[in-house]
Amino acid sequence: MTPELTVLTLAALLQVVIFVLYAIPANRELGPGYTMSARDREPSNSLSNKTARLGRTMDNTFEALILFGIAATVITLSNQSTGYTTLLSWVFLVARVAYIPAYALGLRPHRSLIWAVGFTATVLMLIAALV
Amino acid sequence: MTETTILAAYGLLVMLTILLQVLGGMQQLSVGYLLSSRDETRTVDGMTARLKRALDNSITAMALFAPAILLLVFLERTSPATLLAAQVFLIARIVYVPVYAFGIPVVRTFVWLAGFAATAILYFLAL
Repeated sequence: MTPELTVLTLAALLQVVIFVLYAIPANRELGPGYTMSARDREPSNSLSNKTARLGRTMDNTFEALILFGIAATVITLSNQSTGYTTLLSWVFLVARVAYIPAYALGLRPHRSLIWAVGFTATVLMLIAALV
Repeated sequence: MTETTILAAYGLLVMLTILLQVLGGMQQLSVGYLLSSRDETRTVDGMTARLKRALDNSITAMALFAPAILLLVFLERTSPATLLAAQVFLIARIVYVPVYAFGIPVVRTFVWLAGFAATAILYFLAL
């Protein structure tokens, strides 16, 4: 297993963590009666700001995971794993971990900068796979 | 060009779409709002809204395309046919973004269909 795949596994587990971080307060605030329903109507209780932020964090984490998943797998399958791509994948993971509290606490503009770090690391990995 | 190269290129296309959509959001929503936690809901319209929908669709397409390519490479079933299907997919998805952004109807649906069919063919070739 390449280091990129190790990081990818950890990134997938991070998705599980953010899911739990969001699902627990969301169920408490909306009520299990609503969350277990087919959600045909808007919920009668609204999410707190912090929980809504965690929901948006989860969506963004998922998008980042899809792109990073491609980068890590392409690098591995084409035998192009180097110290450089390993470093990039760790930078990605650290940035995505930091992104969660940055969003939940509403840190501005840190959240956007942290997002840009993870995004750039993924772009550089994809470019490294092409050249 | 191999199937994995096409997959990496497609990843970059999706990222380019993200950036285009953010640029539109900067104009319509202000940078201050984008940097904030976006606690109040604000919506975009026009080309930026279409780019956002194109992005959502591109991510769905990626979730289907990426496993197909990875399966083919892993199973060592790549062939000239799989390369052609992957190329058709990439070209269709490159065309899809501006076609959606400029709101060209019908053409967009056919371009989407080309990418979708190419992905389906990849799965059949993996079986």
